[in-house]
Amino acid sequence: MSDKQSRMAGNTANASSASPTWWLVFWRELRDLWIGGKALYLILIYIILLGIYAFLFASNAEVKLLPLQEMVCEIVKASIAVGLFICLIIGADSISGERERATLEGLLLTPTSRRQIVVGKFFAAFSVWPVALATALPYWAVLSKGDEVFRQALLWGPLLGTLLALSFAGVGMLVSIWSNTNKTSMLVSIGIYLLFLLPTEIMGGPAKLQRTAEQWYRAELNQWVNPLAATSRFLFKIMVNKLSAAELWFWHIMPVLFTVIVLVLLFAYASPGLRLESETARKFRSYWNRWPREITKLLRIS
Amino acid sequence: MFENNNAKAPRSENEVLVANDLRKFYGPREALRGLSFSLQAGRILGFLGPNGAGKTTSIRILTTILEPDAGHFVVDGISSKYPNEIRRRIGVLPESFGLPKQMTGIEYLTFFGQLYGRSAADARKHGMALLEEVGLKQRAKSLTSTYSHGMRQRLGVARALVNDPAVLFLDEPTLGLDPRGQQELLGLIRQITQERKAGVILCSHLLSEVESVCDDVIILSSGQIIASGTVSGVIGQTQSRRSGSIRIQIPPSSVAEARRILAAVPNVMKVVPTSDDAGWLRVELADPDHALAAEAPYLNNRMLEALIRAEIPILSFQPEGGRLQDVFLHLTAEAMK
Repeated sequence: MSDKQSRMAGNTANASSASPTWWLVFWRELRDLWIGGKALYLILIYIILLGIYAFLFASNAEVKLLPLQEMVCEIVKASIAVGLFICLIIGADSISGERERATLEGLLLTPTSRRQIVVGKFFAAFSVWPVALATALPYWAVLSKGDEVFRQALLWGPLLGTLLALSFAGVGMLVSIWSNTNKTSMLVSIGIYLLFLLPTEIMGGPAKLQRTAEQWYRAELNQWVNPLAATSRFLFKIMVNKLSAAELWFWHIMPVLFTVIVLVLLFAYASPGLRLESETARKFRSYWNRWPREITKLLRIS
Repeated sequence: MFENNNAKAPRSENEVLVANDLRKFYGPREALRGLSFSLQAGRILGFLGPNGAGKTTSIRILTTILEPDAGHFVVDGISSKYPNEIRRRIGVLPESFGLPKQMTGIEYLTFFGQLYGRSAADARKHGMALLEEVGLKQRAKSLTSTYSHGMRQRLGVARALVNDPAVLFLDEPTLGLDPRGQQELLGLIRQITQERKAGVILCSHLLSEVESVCDDVIILSSGQIIASGTVSGVIGQTQSRRSGSIRIQIPPSSVAEARRILAAVPNVMKVVPTSDDAGWLRVELADPDHALAAEAPYLNNRMLEALIRAEIPILSFQPEGGRLQDVFLHLTAEAMK
């Protein structure tokens, strides 16, 4: 066999029995995350945070005045919110982190589809959610003290949490694909998270305290458009107010829509354009640098 | 899956890489101005240039990491229109590459082998063979985080060979290695080129390294080729355009006598001791155009003959501008003017 023939044979060797790229990338990432310790540390922090939260609920005299259902609802919401944050952070590190660690170039130099690389990394980033959820369940069970509310928590918590974990892992990865440095990726991702979380905390809870119908309506609308707040609101209404799921279906619109939009953006738009250096970051920098020049020009003209 | 037949482009039998008028702009700046060259199988091409000359941009275009704004290239008969197919035929050792800390050497190569379509068992077997080839078989099961810099570079070379490439791109492969490590890696590159008949593009700032290992050389400056050809050809072309000088080292006690003897040789213009006081003399020769045509080729012989007759020990005899480093400095300085 000539050099060329043997080379071609090597290039295509056993292609039929090979594993799909996304699966290979997923396993490598999973290993990096869990054996490398990053995901383990984050889960450990998650457990400690939930522990403190649950301990406060169980021991603080003032908080103890809360009805049991509300207490369980709060811990379910906290479990989801912190779980999402971990998915977001891992997603945000997945591409820009590899750029910084100089491991992305090796992957991009292989004849594999960019989309499959992103899919593998996405599932790895999402993998922390089931573990986080599994560690949260005992807290929910202990706090619910055998009440009916645990069944509602067990049904809706994992369902809505999974939906939001998918979307937040996706948001983190989108930011990561479009950022050249991990610092930028983390800062932007955390900023986005706070943008979703703060209105939930600031505008979310007090809906019932609004005085006029118009104010009440506006507060409810604010919560409806925010997928995180909408989920919180749904959980509150179904676990505390004991409304039926059929009455509350419209609270699922934004979380589902948000997840669909994020995943379509990630897999259909951003992942085929995955590059060693982010074009988006370069364009953003060039626009950003243009503003002072434009303003100076305007000032000169005026 | 791949359109092999359509992707094939006509080429000469031995050419594994042909670049044609490649151009790249970063905003208004033209980083690459019509790069055209070819590389033959089994040859090592040194890619040189000062910082910012366009080497990295060229390599990134040729390895499909960047898209050119104009021009095209063909790797192993595959047009640049088919980047995925090209990636199957190239191996790359980037200047800086990271290794996953939680993987052993063999796991790392198996992973990449699988990405190139091998089954896990086949990729592992092939990975072991590669580790043996680069001298890392004993450390196959050690975590990559425990590897020394030299071992990491060797593992990088092995990874670049995972798909048995037609063209191998090595960007500063010996950077940060000790002299023994440099020597060993260069030997390995030479051996790989000979055994596998792959074309190698070697980017390096160590010109002595390029001179010792490369068959051909390209010197880039400001995004364009300012010299190309075989290493000796490029040195020869440049030398012939310059009036020469020779550096001769003799024992410091013989400097005065040697100056007198050399000054008497025809076509020697000036003999000046260099400032380092170690017995070095710089002999400036007459411009080849004005020198006596018949005598010019024998000038070195005449000088050596004169020194030998006078029984002056010759410790070193170096034509200035006769090294790739001199050529590089001369050409890049000229290009910058």
